[in-house]
Amino acid sequence: MEFFTHSWAMLAGQLAHGWVWFCGLFVVTESWMIAGGWVATGLTIFLFSFLYKDNPFFKVAEHLYLGAGMGWLFQVSVTNVWIPKIWEPVSKGELLVIIPSVLGLSLLTQFVPKISWISRYGFTFMMGYGAGLAIPAGLSTDFISQIGGTIKPFSMLATMSPWAIFNSLVVACGAICVLFYFFFSVEHKGHLKKVSNVGIYFLMIYFGAAFGNTVMARFSLLYGRFDDVYTYSGAKYFYASQIILLGMVVYFLVRWFTGKDKKELDAEETAG
Amino acid sequence: MLKEQLQKFFKIDRRWIFLLLAVTLFVPIMKPLGLPNKTISPATKRVYENLEKLPAGSFVLFSLDYDPSTRPELHPMATALVRHAFSRNLKVGVVTYIAGSTGLIEELFAKVSREYNKVDGQDYVIFPYQPNILAVLTQMSSDLYGIYSKDRNGTPVRDMPVLKGIKSYKDMSVIVCVTGTAILDYWVAYVGDKYRVPVAGGVTAISQPGYGPYLQTNQLKGLIGGMKGAAEYESLIKQPGKGTSGIDALNLAHLLVLALIFTSNILLILIRYL
Repeated sequence: MEFFTHSWAMLAGQLAHGWVWFCGLFVVTESWMIAGGWVATGLTIFLFSFLYKDNPFFKVAEHLYLGAGMGWLFQVSVTNVWIPKIWEPVSKGELLVIIPSVLGLSLLTQFVPKISWISRYGFTFMMGYGAGLAIPAGLSTDFISQIGGTIKPFSMLATMSPWAIFNSLVVACGAICVLFYFFFSVEHKGHLKKVSNVGIYFLMIYFGAAFGNTVMARFSLLYGRFDDVYTYSGAKYFYASQIILLGMVVYFLVRWFTGKDKKELDAEETAG
Repeated sequence: MLKEQLQKFFKIDRRWIFLLLAVTLFVPIMKPLGLPNKTISPATKRVYENLEKLPAGSFVLFSLDYDPSTRPELHPMATALVRHAFSRNLKVGVVTYIAGSTGLIEELFAKVSREYNKVDGQDYVIFPYQPNILAVLTQMSSDLYGIYSKDRNGTPVRDMPVLKGIKSYKDMSVIVCVTGTAILDYWVAYVGDKYRVPVAGGVTAISQPGYGPYLQTNQLKGLIGGMKGAAEYESLIKQPGKGTSGIDALNLAHLLVLALIFTSNILLILIRYL
């Protein structure tokens, strides 16, 4: 008896020790930070290598991204939605949460054609709830307030500076001309065509500004990745960026000199 | 003959342009040039002034809704905003509706709270990620604790010193949403307009032009746009950070694009008339 008790105690001790060791793997240490740096810079370089040409490293990074993304979403759904919003309340006896949960689950019946009609209950609730929230807010914020904002300055012209008056006129003129451009019940010809054309110019200016900002945003993101790649190129990270970049260059050179790239090109041309 | 030579320019491998752009962006990271960022947009200044005019102890709610995909633009501005709030001794609450932002928020507060000796629970509180933003925004209008009873570590928040006297939106001085999504629209429509709470924003450069109408009608009390906006805010609080250092790279990259557009157009004109 004492032998069994002792054995169990030993086993429990070993398990506890193993568990502590396992948990210790997930404690953020300096080594983990360095490994994280290698993974981050490696994946960045692998993904950017596609700009040169498609390659297995890019494929690995691409698939890893999709897999990791799905895994991340799953754990977020379980830990941030399922457990706190459904499991914990039900465990405490708050059974009302079962009703929205069932409505939510009903959406999954879409995958079974025979009972897919059940999903309508869930969708009905979502539509009603969504429309009830969105329509009044949308009307007030994006419609009435915007019309008010365009008209209001004209009631205060006496107190406004010439520049502010000019601005208000431009805004009002732009709003009217652009709206008219999208009004199709009158044929756009003569003077009406001119109004419509002015609307096009306002739209073009907006698209230009939006495109310019998009370019700036993309450069900012690229800068952010390069900044990280540069950070991980330091001695603290054992020159992760340089080593991985060099590895990629060697890979492409080897393929080039062994003629594999040429064979692939020929195969593509033949297939094409 | 010359025409054919010029036409070759339009057939160059686009990878050379990628390489040129990469070099242009990388050089200022390795050796900052210190190009000046002299213009500060009125929209950014309005955000600054809205925080600046608050008396110490006022409660500011930050909705930090960005993940690593927009980090280079939005993290510097969130950092600058939190620094500004802490330097003014404002009480700070943080909410998020993007699960991927939780790690970035932890990183930000681990760094900035140390700089200003701010204590979790006393000077700031970070609420956990919540799904279904519309339900949360609606609930918070009547009772904050109905939806956020605990902070992100599971600590009950009701008795925290930072939340003393805070029950709903009407007790908050300003709400600032930093996001690369449409979440700022929700704050404007479902909170700012509805409950008359000042809402300001920080967004990516891509979405910046779309918020012009809200600024004009004062539905939005200020807007920080992209890395340029982050650099502007860093200039206003006189604490240069990642936004300011990115301006060198952005300026050079924009010059490169302008040069390429200019060259292409000149060459096209020459080809047409030769």
